[in-house]
Amino acid sequence: MMNEIRFEKVKKSYGKVEVVKSLDFSIRDGERLILLGPSGCGKSTTLRMIAGLESITEGRLYMGGREVNDVPSGQRDVAMVFQNYALYPHMTVKQNITYALRTQKMTKDEIEKRLKDALQMLGLEKLENRLPKDLSGGQRQRVALARAVVKQSPYFLLDEPLSNLDAQLRGTARKELVRIHEKFKQTMVYVTHDQIEAMTIGDRIALLNNGILQMLDTPENVYHRPANIFTATFIGSPAMNVHDVRFIDGQLQIDEQFFGIGNEWSLLLKNYRNKQVKFGVRPEHIHLSTEMSEGRICGVVNTIENLGAQYAVYVQIGSKEWIALSPHRGFSKGQRVYLEFDYNNYHFFDPETTNTVGYPSTLNLNSKIPLKVEV
Amino acid sequence: MKINKRWEIPWHIIFFIFILVLLYPIFYALGFSLKSLQDAYNSPLSIIPKNITFENFNQLFTSLPALKITWNTFVIASVVTIFKIITSFLAAYAFVYFIFKGKNVIYFFLISTIFLPFTITMIPNYLIISSLGLADSVWGVILPQLADAMGIFLLTQAMRSIPVSLIEVARLDNMEHWRIMKDIVLPLVRPAVTSTSIWFFIMAWNEYVWPVLILKTVDNYTLPLALQMYISSEGGTNFTVAMAVSVITMIIPLTLYLTFQKYIIGTFVSSGIK
Repeated sequence: MMNEIRFEKVKKSYGKVEVVKSLDFSIRDGERLILLGPSGCGKSTTLRMIAGLESITEGRLYMGGREVNDVPSGQRDVAMVFQNYALYPHMTVKQNITYALRTQKMTKDEIEKRLKDALQMLGLEKLENRLPKDLSGGQRQRVALARAVVKQSPYFLLDEPLSNLDAQLRGTARKELVRIHEKFKQTMVYVTHDQIEAMTIGDRIALLNNGILQMLDTPENVYHRPANIFTATFIGSPAMNVHDVRFIDGQLQIDEQFFGIGNEWSLLLKNYRNKQVKFGVRPEHIHLSTEMSEGRICGVVNTIENLGAQYAVYVQIGSKEWIALSPHRGFSKGQRVYLEFDYNNYHFFDPETTNTVGYPSTLNLNSKIPLKVEV
Repeated sequence: MKINKRWEIPWHIIFFIFILVLLYPIFYALGFSLKSLQDAYNSPLSIIPKNITFENFNQLFTSLPALKITWNTFVIASVVTIFKIITSFLAAYAFVYFIFKGKNVIYFFLISTIFLPFTITMIPNYLIISSLGLADSVWGVILPQLADAMGIFLLTQAMRSIPVSLIEVARLDNMEHWRIMKDIVLPLVRPAVTSTSIWFFIMAWNEYVWPVLILKTVDNYTLPLALQMYISSEGGTNFTVAMAVSVITMIIPLTLYLTFQKYIIGTFVSSGIK
């Protein structure tokens, strides 16, 4: 409760355009919550509403139990890191980091102490007298972080802070961010469109699309137990295969081929007998083989993409294309292959609502996400 | 602009001729201010005086309170510049960073006043200044010039080039507006403020029509009025003395322009005005 952030039916409109449509969720004290979604989904607007940089059209926003709809941004005690870092170009690194503290009439000793700690924590010791224009992208990003850290605010907001860094630096910066958060344990809200950042940094992910919250859960659940088709296909690369299939007598019909899905799944799909259902399976949960056996269905290889560690094999089955990941090249274009779907990793969605049909209670999340940053 | 090597010399010659044409009046005024009237009549096209004389300056300072007139001009130009830049800065800040109803409409009307000819506001302004009892006073010249739509436009453009996130960071840090203006916006738009100020100063320094309407007593005159006295004085134009007044009139604006020309050109180029 202490530094919890709570949305109660929060809406944001610009004229007639509704950017955020009724958000209703809480961000727990001290957690790292990721606001994830495609461009224009309302994630930055949501963050800016927390910061007080955008007004709230409807609903209520609470921070630390206090309604903050009309509280100016400066009185919300938040620290924020912007996508473009927003460093004052005419101030040195030191001045940038300490400017807010100096205007708050903090004692010189305290300012020096916080500055020293921040510089040391972020490896900026030798750069304190440089201007932002003399720094690299990674250094600027660290200065922006240091400026937010020295405020020691209970709320730490980040708006795509790593999007201007190259892939290698991003990896380091992700770890740095988690380390900083572990030290200060502020309530952290992090906006990104990058699912790797979301999966590695977040305690929980709030996935948004068109201003609507699609799912709010742990990275594991968002990946393995997606609540709807949008979540299933947004997270994961290559994206999850989701195609229309027909459920007949305990079997799924894909094109003209059938395979059994066992009792547990059949029970779950009892309302879809002889009906269409959306069947989803992640590319890494499809096993390719050159030999036919029971439970496999046949397709023809369209294309093979080299992804480095593995290969994405595009297989045509009837009118639909399925993507499977294979650790070795082993297949060629036009070759007949057999696909076997991993029983534990089926996903079924209602064709109308696009929501998940659910999962058999006997199934456990059988794989941890390897990307998670452990500190 | 990339110039083909083959055309480099001809282009330089053309530019040199242009520069000569532009500089000729300045050197002409300087040369003639140091000539005697007879010398001027004998060789009206030659810039270089036969015998250098300061008689024209001497005559100017004995026949007119020239120091007082220069001082008046300086006071008017300085006060007008200071007020105009302050009002322009504050208005531009409000237009860029405040959200209020009718902002765009007000801005549009304000900026459209740039295109109003002076003659339209001349009479109402004169009536107001007279009714305030400020006719024939330096303050009467100053008062209607304390705000300027063009200045607001130029500084608004400059402030719009500052990333909004810089101001948002300051707002998140609970910074008051005066501090944001002083510590963040002003340092970042300093070139624009400097050049706009110089432009205001030069405009106010050279202002002729409004002072000629308001000022009657020679003691309150400004330099352009003094110049006019010699150009259209009874019994013919004493144009060597007129040139001496011109030289004095030119010195301060020219010095300012030459010192800060980098900023002036930069501001107008970045505002899309050329």
